[in-house]
Amino acid sequence: MKDLNKLFYPESVAVIGASENILKWGSIIISNILDGGFEGKVFPVSTKNDIVYGRKASKTLKEIGEPVDLLIITTPANTVMGILRECVETGIKNVLIVSSGFSEAGEDGKSLENEMRDFALDNGINIIGPNTMGMANFKTKFLGMNPFVRLNPGGISLMAQSGNVGNQIMYWAEQQSIGMSKFVGSGNEAVLMCEDYLDYFNRDEDTSVIIMYIEGVDNGRSFMEAARRTTRRKPIVVLKGGRTDIGSKAAMSHTGSMAGSIRIFASAMEQSGVSLVETQAEMLTLASAFDAMPLPKGNRIGVVTLGGGWGVITADECEERGLVLPPLPGNVKDRLGQMLPSFWSKGNPVDLVGQPDPNLFRESIEAMISSDAYDAVILLGVINAFKTVLRFYSASVRLGKKSEINLDQLEHQLDRMQNVFLDDISKLMDTYDKPIYPVALISQTDQPIVYWPKENRKYGAMIFKTPEEAVSCLAKQYRYSQYLQRHGRE
Amino acid sequence: MKEIIHEAVQKNRKALSEFDSKRVIAMAGVAVTREMLVRTKDEAIGAAREIGFPVVLKGCSAELTHKTEYGMVKVGLHTQEEVALAFGDLMSKGMELDGILVQEMVDGERQFVIGLSRDPQFGPCVMFGLGGIFTEVLRDVSFRVAPITENDALEMIDEIRTKDILGAFRGSPAVDRNILAKALVGVGNLGVEIEEIAEIDINPLIVTDDRPIAVDALVILRNPSVS
Repeated sequence: MKDLNKLFYPESVAVIGASENILKWGSIIISNILDGGFEGKVFPVSTKNDIVYGRKASKTLKEIGEPVDLLIITTPANTVMGILRECVETGIKNVLIVSSGFSEAGEDGKSLENEMRDFALDNGINIIGPNTMGMANFKTKFLGMNPFVRLNPGGISLMAQSGNVGNQIMYWAEQQSIGMSKFVGSGNEAVLMCEDYLDYFNRDEDTSVIIMYIEGVDNGRSFMEAARRTTRRKPIVVLKGGRTDIGSKAAMSHTGSMAGSIRIFASAMEQSGVSLVETQAEMLTLASAFDAMPLPKGNRIGVVTLGGGWGVITADECEERGLVLPPLPGNVKDRLGQMLPSFWSKGNPVDLVGQPDPNLFRESIEAMISSDAYDAVILLGVINAFKTVLRFYSASVRLGKKSEINLDQLEHQLDRMQNVFLDDISKLMDTYDKPIYPVALISQTDQPIVYWPKENRKYGAMIFKTPEEAVSCLAKQYRYSQYLQRHGRE
Repeated sequence: MKEIIHEAVQKNRKALSEFDSKRVIAMAGVAVTREMLVRTKDEAIGAAREIGFPVVLKGCSAELTHKTEYGMVKVGLHTQEEVALAFGDLMSKGMELDGILVQEMVDGERQFVIGLSRDPQFGPCVMFGLGGIFTEVLRDVSFRVAPITENDALEMIDEIRTKDILGAFRGSPAVDRNILAKALVGVGNLGVEIEEIAEIDINPLIVTDDRPIAVDALVILRNPSVS
């Protein structure tokens, strides 16, 4: 297995082709690294510019005169071989090639890429790319990439075979305050391939969940083996690009004509314990759920809802995905009966009949989650419910009602109350080691998707946007949990 | 088993005959119809009596991969006379045949398919699904990359949309899933162990009482040294 530790945790980096032309890669990459707060050494290398962003540029790699853990190349494809020879002379082992003009650009590019691959393998040089948006380590604030996102360090590491898909995923992560560990755009995968990154993320202690955007794998078997090794230790979420299902045209049998590549890919992932998702948004949500919550150990779900309709929708979703809603055991029913108004549902889903009292919710959730009859609880409608109250107030003010209340202050106060509630959810998950899935009444795309407690606790409370989203996540986590029960966890 | 395949590959055959295909899958653990390959009318009648009426007669040849389309299948033969007539009819079509296959007639409403294909990235893959003539229209099938365990097999059996017909159905008992699972594991192993097998279709696999039996099978070959 390849040692990629220095590559992902560089302490010194050189950028060839560094400039201050803000639309050029030579500027994009180095300005992102310098502006991102990286504390290691940064060496600009340029034949044209003496100073780049206040730093003296070297003309050649030799001129740097210090060890370089990672070299980033932004100059044209035809300069790359010469630079790699200099790497051998100066002992540089890790290279990231942003430049395009390789196998994606016709026969000449293809032969150049082959030459480069052979040279790199002969000389033990790791190469990310070519033709990549770069890579990042959010813990060390090393942002050697195009997207100018400033993410909190977290447990999710991303590998994308398309730079732009990775780009978009990270901007969404920023919008929803999702913390990440690492990003790598694998580009043409001339030397380092997706299974190399998978193996690295598997062993990387800062990575707790791996997400991958994959269009194709060169060697399905070896990717499957890498995935199998990994899923026994941490979850993998894969979004597959190119899902159109066409059977192999060369097939002579009926079986062959039905064996479309995506079906086989999906089966291979299923056999390896990988969770497949359909969209980038789903990918982030599921990854966050894996990162923030305990896994459900079984498929018995308790539902607590602010209103009957959501309970029905959620029950349908559960049923369709192989989850069950067992009836309330006697002791849970008694416990709930003591605190709820006499007209409560007396069944699962537990319908709180429009009483948005956080205490009532908290007590009901605890009654369910503490019971041996349930493996997970879905909570519908209390999160963000207070936002409706804010709208009542602002409408009445617009209609001329004199109000003493400062709306901003009120919102702030209600936000704090909600955080206390989310904190209790995280505490309950800690106490009972079972997941709780809160679904917002009013969903907001710019709200943090996970509430991480201030105290040092294992789990954070998620906010799901819809019942479908919560149930889909739960079902996929349960599936992974079953896989671990069968194949053993490492 | 390897001999049957090596011989066919050496003769540059693209496929095995139904008779040879079934010998191969039977050795891999798939239950197949009782059948005999005969060359004369008297042999056909003798075989039918041994197997027991009613029987099916089929023209048998490695070149003949679409028997029904060529009128090379005669079903529901209840008497010696019917067998003799069918034998003559099949022989008169002027096709080059290895012989005539005399086969027990298996009855059952539930039909499944088991298959093997080779994916360019993942290699041999096993398929299970709803069989019969509508297989390719309904495409109610599931796949696994071989080799598979019995547990994988049981999972893929449960993945098809029409899995309910595996349960007790119209007066018939539930299908014995363990037999199905063993068959799937066996077919997967064929793909892993025998490079010369390109694809396999076992369709239909008909369930009588609770036991699935391969009624037709086709093993397609390749020359691994060429491809």
